[in-house]
Amino acid sequence: MASLPPANDSPSVDPTAKVAPDLATLRHRLASGTGRRFWRSLEDLAESDDFRRFVEAEFPAALELSETSRRNFLRLMAAPMMLGGLAACGDMPDEKALPYINQPEILVPGKALYFATATLFEGYAQPVLAETHVGRPTKLEGNPDHPMAGAGTTDAFAQAAVLELYDPDRSRAITFLGRIATWDAFQGVTVGLRDRLRENKGGDLRILIDTVTSPTLRRQLDDLRAAFPQARLHHFEPVGAALRHQGTLRAFGRPLDVHYRLENAAVIVSLEDDIFGPGPSQVRHAAQWSQRRRDHQQDGDLTRLHVAESTPTLTGALAGTTLNAASQRMPVLLANLAGSLGVGEGNTAEAALTQGEQAWVRTAAGELAAHRGIGLLALGAHLPADAQALAHRVNHALGNAGVTVVYSEPVGLAATDEASALLALAEAMAAGEVETLVVLGANPVYTAPADLDFANRMDRVSLRIHAGLYYDETASHCHWHIPLTHPLESWSDARAVDGTASMLQPTVKPLFGGKSVHEVVATLLGQLNATAYDLLRETWDACLGGDEKAWRQVLNDGFVADSVAQTEAPAPQGAAAEVSLAIGVPASGEASGLEAIFRPDPCVWDGRFSNLAWLQELPKPLTKLTWDNVLAISARLAEGLDLGAGDEAELTVKGRSVRGPVWILPGQAERTITVFLGYGRSRAGRVGDGAGFNGYAVRTSAEPWAVPGAALRRTGKRLRLATTQNHATMDGGDFVRTMSVTEARAAHPDEPLAPTFYPQWEYPKYAWAMSIDLDLCIGCNACVVACQAENNIPVVGKEQVEAGREMHWIRVDRYYEGGLDRPDRTLFQPLPCMHCEQAPCEVGCPVNATVHGPEGLNQMVYNRCVGTRTCASYCPYKVRRFNFFEYAATDSPLLQAQRNPNVTVRARGVMEKCTYCVQRISAARIEAQKEGRPIRDGEVVTACQSACPTQAIVFGNQADPDSGVSRRQQSPRQYTLLRELNTRPRTTYQARILDKASDGEA
Amino acid sequence: MAQIFSPGADIWLRVAMIAVASVVVGLLLVGGGVVRSDYMTRQNVVREQPVPFSHQHHVAGLGLDCRYCHTSVEQSATAGFPPTHTCMTCHSQIWTDAPVLEPVRQSLATGTPLRWTWVNKLPQFVYFNHSIHVSKGVGCVTCHGQVDTMPLMRRGQPLLMQWCLDCHRNPAPNLRPREAVFDMTWTPPADREAFGKALVERYHIDVGNLTHCYICHR
Repeated sequence: MASLPPANDSPSVDPTAKVAPDLATLRHRLASGTGRRFWRSLEDLAESDDFRRFVEAEFPAALELSETSRRNFLRLMAAPMMLGGLAACGDMPDEKALPYINQPEILVPGKALYFATATLFEGYAQPVLAETHVGRPTKLEGNPDHPMAGAGTTDAFAQAAVLELYDPDRSRAITFLGRIATWDAFQGVTVGLRDRLRENKGGDLRILIDTVTSPTLRRQLDDLRAAFPQARLHHFEPVGAALRHQGTLRAFGRPLDVHYRLENAAVIVSLEDDIFGPGPSQVRHAAQWSQRRRDHQQDGDLTRLHVAESTPTLTGALAGTTLNAASQRMPVLLANLAGSLGVGEGNTAEAALTQGEQAWVRTAAGELAAHRGIGLLALGAHLPADAQALAHRVNHALGNAGVTVVYSEPVGLAATDEASALLALAEAMAAGEVETLVVLGANPVYTAPADLDFANRMDRVSLRIHAGLYYDETASHCHWHIPLTHPLESWSDARAVDGTASMLQPTVKPLFGGKSVHEVVATLLGQLNATAYDLLRETWDACLGGDEKAWRQVLNDGFVADSVAQTEAPAPQGAAAEVSLAIGVPASGEASGLEAIFRPDPCVWDGRFSNLAWLQELPKPLTKLTWDNVLAISARLAEGLDLGAGDEAELTVKGRSVRGPVWILPGQAERTITVFLGYGRSRAGRVGDGAGFNGYAVRTSAEPWAVPGAALRRTGKRLRLATTQNHATMDGGDFVRTMSVTEARAAHPDEPLAPTFYPQWEYPKYAWAMSIDLDLCIGCNACVVACQAENNIPVVGKEQVEAGREMHWIRVDRYYEGGLDRPDRTLFQPLPCMHCEQAPCEVGCPVNATVHGPEGLNQMVYNRCVGTRTCASYCPYKVRRFNFFEYAATDSPLLQAQRNPNVTVRARGVMEKCTYCVQRISAARIEAQKEGRPIRDGEVVTACQSACPTQAIVFGNQADPDSGVSRRQQSPRQYTLLRELNTRPRTTYQARILDKASDGEA
Repeated sequence: MAQIFSPGADIWLRVAMIAVASVVVGLLLVGGGVVRSDYMTRQNVVREQPVPFSHQHHVAGLGLDCRYCHTSVEQSATAGFPPTHTCMTCHSQIWTDAPVLEPVRQSLATGTPLRWTWVNKLPQFVYFNHSIHVSKGVGCVTCHGQVDTMPLMRRGQPLLMQWCLDCHRNPAPNLRPREAVFDMTWTPPADREAFGKALVERYHIDVGNLTHCYICHR
């Protein structure tokens, strides 16, 4: 967090601007087949001389930074160079040791202690084991005992939750009218409030809350409604899946949660459903899909995925066939699909579809029909309720319901009636019917659709109370603000997406005081002395019968056994025809104008994670952008409007407009503009403020997901964007591989290794190796953030990312194959250090700071490193990162508390890179040696491996032929990166298996 | 043309060269000596402590085992400092109003930890692990010196990397049976070298691989 991102509106020279290619030329290259097969950006595809120079410079932007001549540089640097050594002459001050007064019995200093708890994402529990060192939580791992699929792994958001805990910008005090107040004063106010509410039965009390899955909070809210029957509860989740409940209401007569069972699905047809994209279910879906995929990699019966989408997603990247169509075409596509499967009537006229659409619908319908009972039709949660209902009918008619998709009573509090929507609240506030508004956790002033004019209407409420983690936009419009405790520092409970009740227990005392949401609600109820723990016990004592032993077991496990939601597969009600006709036929894509669609940002979501630097600097899976959001457009639209990546444009939707940089996204539907939400915040904190533009400014409550009739205008300004897609571009080719099912089964004999002059190493006992299966990687980025949390990797800020100085030890490269408008394939390649047997960096280092270890690790010795950066220029994989500034030293003491005590915090001027989590290897070795046994397979799990929801990463001892990694290496799909260089990497890859459909073998 | 150099010039040149060389060598020797001196390594330097705790009295005099206070030495990287409660197990009964123990009583009463000055502290980039050394038969005395003879705690060894490496290269002379690790008075048998080698075998000590950087640095 050394430097904060500069405001977005400063026009400046962008180092990649001059290499920006001409799209027409690119199309020609692609058509003629002379371009690269797999390309990572438009510049890469163009292969211009300028781009070659950019790639060849080790830190490309460094060239642009200084105009100083060599002579001047040496003159200026003479004194620093002479005095440089003096930095080492300091005296080591005496360090103090502070033992406990009374050391807790379970605590062993120097050993990590794990607590089974959970973090929250959109209200759903994400089960984790929190690693703590003498009372400081430092890292979260999945909870493998939790019954939810994939619970042993995590997504990027769960990994970053520990940073949120320590965020110095979290609110630290109860405030009244912006001044610090006390909890007692707040409680005093609630006494008067309660008297008034008791008189009018709570008629003027409104509570706004985001998704609630906590059984305790639900109980409290029920109590609140019982006490004040007229009070109203409003639910608002800015990018939540409320329409899913509307869909099931229409199909089955009641709101239900939809649970996919992807482990049973041989065919998935998705209409804009980003099954594998970020969201509360990402880990679960990824794990289910990966389970089936791993089982069938041998026999080739892989899940086939057909996706129609308007904007590229991670699901589309995995699909065998994708169709690009405007979001508004989805209902008509669905109606046709359903019609050709014999569900519903009308709308089957193929004439309404373009040729490409017809072909896709025919393929998808054919596949679903051929796989009755093992297929799945998935519909995006943002598509109209009628369409959702029709999809449920299709799944029911095909016998998929109950096998690949099941239903349950809503896990969270469902908001299906209009009275509890945000709109109703806004209208009531405008009408002056609301005297008291309590906002719990939500941030509607920032996230509410623009047409609600929420902030102004809210200002008419005479008593406004906000409880939240941050003093955010909504807090600044409220009289009272109560800081909430973070999930890692409070007692609470929540349900995971599968319904399993999970327990949240504090891993540290509340850092900034703060109150739990349960305590705030209890205060409203008049229970002034209730603690979150008592309230929690009250809920669970009722369920567990007050059994202390059972309660201890629940805390130990982190969840309540057998509390998973009861699933069912009800029959749809009413006639299908009615539903499909109600969808109607929008004008075909070409005729109408532009369409604007709204999507949560893959890294900061709806804006709630804006102040988490790890997520801000995490390259977004598809654009590889950091620190910014964009208006994503297609290459064709860019050509038409003469826009290039980074050009500012003004998007006008229904009379409202917003300005932001455009980005050309291969695979984007031609006339669709994607607005990524979550940016342009004013009160996020020091990290999030001022980054990007606010997409909510053009969102409306009537059409929150897709709006026709948008207009895009070039403003002529250029904005700086920090993308990493061209950073660490390797020289050569054949980085990612694909194979047909047949090829993947055939044995590929190893070509003999070329002779070498490098020393030969012997590994009698351990030879650590990593294997990454590209067939399983979905590009979710969990590994990147997990590595950052484990290895104390600093954040460098937007300017430094632009200069190519991001510090991630593992990066995920994204490659496209095929055309600009609709790439045939999108592939992801996680890339840590290769730990080469014949490592060029080792011979390059003049001071022996990088050396070969006895177990094959390419060791980096920070204390020897003098920062010549020779190793980085010798590394063909470009995995080495140089610490240009004292990034870590300027972190606040709070953030320093998050650091892993077993990993060195690197100083300025030192090279660093992936160590294969050597601290975990050392810990396992020491334990094994103490017990006098060899290290077992699976005992060393690297941070990236443990986070990976699809188990694409396997780590282990390749000297042991039975180890997991050795078995992986036997795969016919095994290959090494840049084999021609004869570096003999320890990190190897398995090729992606192509779908049978696209293989022509079906 | 006159001679540029006088007849003595050659001598002067030689003297000057020898003088320069000896100054350089001398500086290196002195420098090397200084960094290895007790002044720099703090070996045998007593630090100020909040309580003048005597290892001599508690270990040699009363016969307390090391693990009575340093409880995590066999399980963890750090041996652990005793919490105030450990001190008070005895000192709530004996020497209850001794003035030197006032900080301990204050610590318990006010709930503020004692602030000991760390005597055997390695730099932060060294990841030393007590438990593995103890389980491989490295005695406490080997690195900490005869603490049972120290009325006030001081560093028993220089703790230089050179000193660590001496043992990592050839641990045999410094090993003892596991049972004797905490024994302050254990004396090696006559054939020290052979005895040590046998222990290297018995404890499966991977001698060749103990000097790699990642063993101690990460």
